[in-house]
Amino acid sequence: MKEDLMDIICCPVDKHELELDVEERDDEEIMEGTLTCTECGEVYPIEDGIPNLLPPDMREEAPA
Amino acid sequence: MDGDSPGTASVRATYDRIADHFAKTRAYPWPEVEAFLDDRAVPPGAPGPTVGLDVGCGNGRHTELLAEQCDRALGVDASRAMLATARERANGGSETPGARGFALVQAGAAALPVADGTVDAGVYVATLPHLPARERRRASLDELARALAPDGRALVSAWSTEHDRFDAESGFDTTVDWTLPGGETVGRFYHIYDPDEFRADVAASALELVEFEVSSGNCYGVVRRAD
Repeated sequence: MKEDLMDIICCPVDKHELELDVEERDDEEIMEGTLTCTECGEVYPIEDGIPNLLPPDMREEAPA
Repeated sequence: MDGDSPGTASVRATYDRIADHFAKTRAYPWPEVEAFLDDRAVPPGAPGPTVGLDVGCGNGRHTELLAEQCDRALGVDASRAMLATARERANGGSETPGARGFALVQAGAAALPVADGTVDAGVYVATLPHLPARERRRASLDELARALAPDGRALVSAWSTEHDRFDAESGFDTTVDWTLPGGETVGRFYHIYDPDEFRADVAASALELVEFEVSSGNCYGVVRRAD
């Protein structure tokens, strides 16, 4: 993801703003890092350049 | 989860499994989506930068069209493997010269991680029927309404009982097999909508229908936020 995506995305649960923490960058692309909700504190990973913003109940649901 | 309906994780796992093959067989945009986008994807006079959103973007074939019409476009899908197939297009893939890039996010349609009122043009096509419970399907329509800008429009589609392959008059849950190249089949959950039910679900949500049609066995609604 690129940093300007922060203008559009929000926490999927409470819709509050997210705080970006970059661990690995490839040029403009943020490859690894986290997005943390400024309200509920939920942490969403950025993996391989794509943020995983599934709500916690969908993230933890074991595939059938 | 109710009755025989699978959980959303099951639908997601199905698409994770068939993603590569599915993406190859869904290379081109649907004409109904192209017509919507040509018509008025972005409202005249919309203050920029305009934003396009594709919910259930799959391989990104429609997100790419949104990216041509909007300053920025975002494709959302619950399946990580499907998103991986969209990546080349997302980077302005080499197969489509001049294509503009777009962003990808893994997320569920009933819990969109998109800020209120940001979306000028939305596409929610062939995805709603994959949500296994009616309350979740309705929640996803509310989420789309929340994400839309006051003048924003979206196209919502659902496979319908009007399709030749179905005999039923009213909506029902079913499993439709996907056949992989080796002959193995993988079942996909669908709720097949009857047109009245489609209209009712939209009416019960925070969206309202601007236009409605049945085309190629699908219900199509152009929607906006209800006042």
